[in-house]
Amino acid sequence: MIGAILFLTFLVLLFGGVPIGVALGLAGALAILLADQSILAMPTNVYAGIAKYPLMAIPMFVLVGSVFDRTGVALRLVRFATAIVGAGRGALASVSVLVAMVIGGISGSGPATSAAVGQVVTRSMVADGYPRPFIAATVAAAAATDILIPPSIAFIIYAVLVPGVSVPAIFMAGMFPGILAGFAIIGAVLVLSWLNDFGGKAQATERLRVWQTFKEAIWGLMAPVVILGGMRIGAFTPTEAAVMAVFYGLFVGVVIYRTLTWRDLYEMLVEAGELSAVIMIVVALASVFAWSTATLGIVQPIAGWIVGLGLGEYGTIALLMVALIFIGMFLDGVSTFLILLPVLIPIANAFQWDLTWFGVILTMKIAIGQFTPPMAVNLMVSCRIAGVSMETTIPWVVWMILAMFVSLALVVVFPGIALWLPGVLGMM
Amino acid sequence: MAAEPDPSAFRENPRTRITLKIEEALVAAAMAAMALITAANVVTRYLSDISIAFTEEYSVVLMVLMTLLGTAIATASGRHIKIGYFLDFLAPRGQRIAEMVAMAMTMVCFGILVAYGWRLAYDEYRFEVLSNGLGHPNWWYTGWLPLLAAVVVLRALGRFIRLARGLDG
Repeated sequence: MIGAILFLTFLVLLFGGVPIGVALGLAGALAILLADQSILAMPTNVYAGIAKYPLMAIPMFVLVGSVFDRTGVALRLVRFATAIVGAGRGALASVSVLVAMVIGGISGSGPATSAAVGQVVTRSMVADGYPRPFIAATVAAAAATDILIPPSIAFIIYAVLVPGVSVPAIFMAGMFPGILAGFAIIGAVLVLSWLNDFGGKAQATERLRVWQTFKEAIWGLMAPVVILGGMRIGAFTPTEAAVMAVFYGLFVGVVIYRTLTWRDLYEMLVEAGELSAVIMIVVALASVFAWSTATLGIVQPIAGWIVGLGLGEYGTIALLMVALIFIGMFLDGVSTFLILLPVLIPIANAFQWDLTWFGVILTMKIAIGQFTPPMAVNLMVSCRIAGVSMETTIPWVVWMILAMFVSLALVVVFPGIALWLPGVLGMM
Repeated sequence: MAAEPDPSAFRENPRTRITLKIEEALVAAAMAAMALITAANVVTRYLSDISIAFTEEYSVVLMVLMTLLGTAIATASGRHIKIGYFLDFLAPRGQRIAEMVAMAMTMVCFGILVAYGWRLAYDEYRFEVLSNGLGHPNWWYTGWLPLLAAVVVLRALGRFIRLARGLDG
């Protein structure tokens, strides 16, 4: 009964437009009161929920994203990739996917990548003969690989919440599924471009020389190496790797590209701080909600019921995917993890699934949700930049959703795609 | 997914009686301090025998402060993660009322954190609870929770009043 009130209160507040964190916190507080528990559990959980050292990787990686966004790395990557690929049907569209994947190796959030890439490629893609809805769909889908290619905020949250999963291990496990998803999207984009004769229309105004553009782009290409290399050799914790990347980005912005000023530095700190706070306060208040569901004993019966359905491994995964598609239409990835992991992890344990692999496939599903209309955050951002409505992208975006589902199915059937890399590196 | 902060959205803070620049400066300072403390940890670890790993305790507290101060900014300017999809069907007047309700709920939520966060810190003061790492009195840290939650309540109240006066919030 209290359990029903808990979820109902949360849903009413959520759909009424109350901030997600407040909805979680108030629903949790109400359940605590109804169950005659001490309300002191609320401030205790809020404080303990975020006073965790591994979570510090979140503000630091958000800061890395802000720094590289302002240095103008995306533009230089596009120029370099264009110099190599040239201009033909589908060429520039593939370039934007590749660039989104590299930016994914720097920043940890899908919408941020969607904005960074969309702002750089939209105009030249229009000039090259791509329709605007197609551009918005491509950018949004490509940016969704970002939360799979490390670093990723979703992975940090997962690793903090799930015992036995380390941040470096799940970062590495996301690498190949992310690359696979990226290439699947490039495949879809190329086929669509060939069939519809998109691209290759622009009159080249300047000849881009490979070497010249490479010299500028190498600084951006090195950033993922700095981040992953430092963690790989065990020299840095994820948080430290992020801070090193911040200083590297500042060096590139101030000394090499000369695009950053002191004013920029201050604004980046404020912007990244507020953006992180908005994520962290949801984490803090969700821990009140999670504490209530755990204390009231709501979670175990649901998990037991799903396992008891007797659907088998793949049947259960399919059921979870359908449920997550539905929930993912309303909730962001971080909140989905915070609310659902207490139910999902016992299910995974009952089937003895590898929890790192499980985190990767859950995150792939969330990535798909980031560009599935009508409430898709990446698509919202890329549509605003391209100046089109979300409905117009549907004929294109469905193929990219399909492409990503194929790569998700491959990772489900062949867990080695995710687990080989962390295994070889001795992280598991 | 409906809700995730959109970093490219046009950021403009509302006109508030007490400027939001205070929170902004403190958030920036906390972020800079966290980055510098972490960098200092790396440098001392590789270049000297001194370990300053104990500074983790300060970094974590700074992160809590940054979270609450950033929450205050996002509350005043309506930039928290929420589902706006269904509200878009309402008339402008209905949207404003919904946002006022959201601010009232925010005040209740952080109001509880003020009242009982204070109790928590007071208990820790009375029972002389010490921090795990450095053995400082723990209320030095948890005491910030009610204080800064009160800042969030006031920012929500300010936005509530602006909306009630027919402003954009």
